[in-house]
Amino acid sequence: MIPIQHFLLLGALLFSLGVYGVLSRRNVVLILMAVELMLQGVNINLVAFAVYLSPQEFRGLIFALFVITVAAAEVGLALAIALRLFRNRATANVDEVDTLRW
Amino acid sequence: MVGMEHAWVLPALPFGAFVVLLLVGRYLPRRGDFLAVGAMVAAAVLFSLMLADLVQALGEEGFQGVTSGIDWLKFDTFRVRLGFFFDNLTAVMLAVVTYVGSLIFIYSMGYMQGDPRYGWFFAAMSLFAASMMTLVLADNLLLLYGAWEAVGFCSYLLIGFWHERRSAAEAAKKAFITTRIGDVGFLIGIVLLWREAGTFDLREIFQLASEGGYSSEYLTLAVLMLFAGAVGKSAQFPLHVWLPDAMEGPTPVSALIHAATMVVAGVYMVARTMPLFEAADPVALQVVTALGLATVMLSATVALVVKDVKRVIAYSTINSLGLMMVALGSRSVTAAMFYLFVHGFFKALLFLAAGNVLHATDRGAVDELGGLRAKMPLTALAFGVGTLAMAGLFPFSGFWAKDEILVAAREDQGVAVNVVLWVSVALTALYMARLYILTFLGRPRDPHAYEHAHEASLVMLAPVLLLALGAVVTGFWAFDQVGEALALPGGVGKFIYLHEPHSFEMPVAEAAGSSALVVASLLLAGFIWSGEARPAQLMAQRLRPLYQLLWNKYYMDDLYQWIVNRIVLATGAMVAWFDRVVVNDTGVDGSAGLTALWGWIMRQVQTGKMPNYALAIAGGAVVIGAVVLVARM
Repeated sequence: MIPIQHFLLLGALLFSLGVYGVLSRRNVVLILMAVELMLQGVNINLVAFAVYLSPQEFRGLIFALFVITVAAAEVGLALAIALRLFRNRATANVDEVDTLRW
Repeated sequence: MVGMEHAWVLPALPFGAFVVLLLVGRYLPRRGDFLAVGAMVAAAVLFSLMLADLVQALGEEGFQGVTSGIDWLKFDTFRVRLGFFFDNLTAVMLAVVTYVGSLIFIYSMGYMQGDPRYGWFFAAMSLFAASMMTLVLADNLLLLYGAWEAVGFCSYLLIGFWHERRSAAEAAKKAFITTRIGDVGFLIGIVLLWREAGTFDLREIFQLASEGGYSSEYLTLAVLMLFAGAVGKSAQFPLHVWLPDAMEGPTPVSALIHAATMVVAGVYMVARTMPLFEAADPVALQVVTALGLATVMLSATVALVVKDVKRVIAYSTINSLGLMMVALGSRSVTAAMFYLFVHGFFKALLFLAAGNVLHATDRGAVDELGGLRAKMPLTALAFGVGTLAMAGLFPFSGFWAKDEILVAAREDQGVAVNVVLWVSVALTALYMARLYILTFLGRPRDPHAYEHAHEASLVMLAPVLLLALGAVVTGFWAFDQVGEALALPGGVGKFIYLHEPHSFEMPVAEAAGSSALVVASLLLAGFIWSGEARPAQLMAQRLRPLYQLLWNKYYMDDLYQWIVNRIVLATGAMVAWFDRVVVNDTGVDGSAGLTALWGWIMRQVQTGKMPNYALAIAGGAVVIGAVVLVARM
């Protein structure tokens, strides 16, 4: 059996990559993809712990399924916003969208 | 039967008239003047009934006056009454207010006829009469003070009755502010008395004072503060400056408020609180005497040069008030109140007769009058009676009252006081004779005004003649026989006294001396001012500095104006600067500006750029994680 540390390391790596992507990208679509990476890093943690702690039950797995579902809905919504943004501003660059302030 | 316990009806009558006139007066025929006059006459009649009741009660042993009324303010143990107190002193004062007041109200129907604010005049006069009666009847200091301020307010309204005229508005303001300076002292005095006694009731305070409940210094301070109120209200030096200016009001106002009633309220108040003045250090009464004397001399000299008829009479009023104060300072309540009583009649007479002249000629300065005796014989006769009464010629009322004061001063005061008093007697006769000569004798100086002059109508002439009668006969009340004939206990000395009733004795020395002095002064005045008044012009030229000094009223108005401009207004400007710069700009605007500045600084954090927020969230997460880790270790 593969030790849990490997799964956790993979999850942390994916999450960190996602964070890096969110912070470094400017394009709103790429940022969304980076967010997906973060979510999947979390999902790996959930599945790993579920299998290791209570193999007879499916609580962690169901959680992971929920996360995937919600992530899908979120992406649908976020892409719609990105689309409207592009239509209105002719840009997908988040640096140039800074009107939501005082 | 109306007795003394119904005294509250007296102020209630004119007050009711005031309310009705104020609400529906404009819809009534003749603007409702008959209500005001009727209420006043009714009060006079009811007062006569109460006087009869008082006379009956005086026969009983140990009569101390009658109190009636209701509780006004009530706390656990402390209460203030809406109480009315009726005794001899009250009765004398009320006699002036109701009798003289009624005559002046009747006179006003003629004098004020055709005035655009005819109804308002009677409303305000009624309110004044109600306040004045409350003042006289009040049995406690708080009610007294309230009425005291109310009469001051009515005086303000009526001096400024023709407020379209700038001088009238200014005079009203001056009167109100000047008397207010004294009123502040009065209020302080009341609070001082109350603080030790725990009550405003006059008789309880007298009781405490006679038992030595106040320390001497404390009581002296308190009564001097009370006296400050009297100085303002009764136009004593140095707060007398408002009274001559108050002549801007209609003449009946001058007669009722600024001669017969309100201005003597100060004298009445001091007479009422005389037990306190007696219990205090002698210096209190010395101050009363000194200020009274200063007032007497100042007014008697200035009156020699004033041109305006009403102002001369105003100065003569100040003169009389000073005399009354000297009498009080000499511990003679009898003399002061006797003078107050007869003064109410002859001074109202002088004013109303002057009002007739004013009404007929529309001129107020002696420069433009003269020779009016031919045109207005009855007014001239009445004015002459008033002049002689004021001058104090035998047997007019002023003679008896003035001699009472001279006797009181001889018995109680030093030589200096007496000398000044005698000089003032001569001066009084001099300026009153001057006024009569310049107005009614000689050659008309303004032919146009003289042509239009005419004798006054009956409604204005009748009160004047009745007052003239009063100016002759009221003085005889000095005699016990006269008092007994009126069913009174005797002469004025047996009716009003401080400790013991006393009979009248003819003061031969005073009577002879003052009569000689008055006659000499009258003759001297005839020499100086009759005809072309050449000696007067000569004196004005030769004694130019003295004339200037008197003409400018000892520069007191100028001094006060200087104080107001240079000290009061300068202080005001400084305070305004402090308010504007320190309080507003620094305090209010400053704190608001500081908040805005801090907000502006903090606002710079909000860039609106999503990556910045994301970085802050991530960085924050790292920091929190690091802190948790370090804390775990």
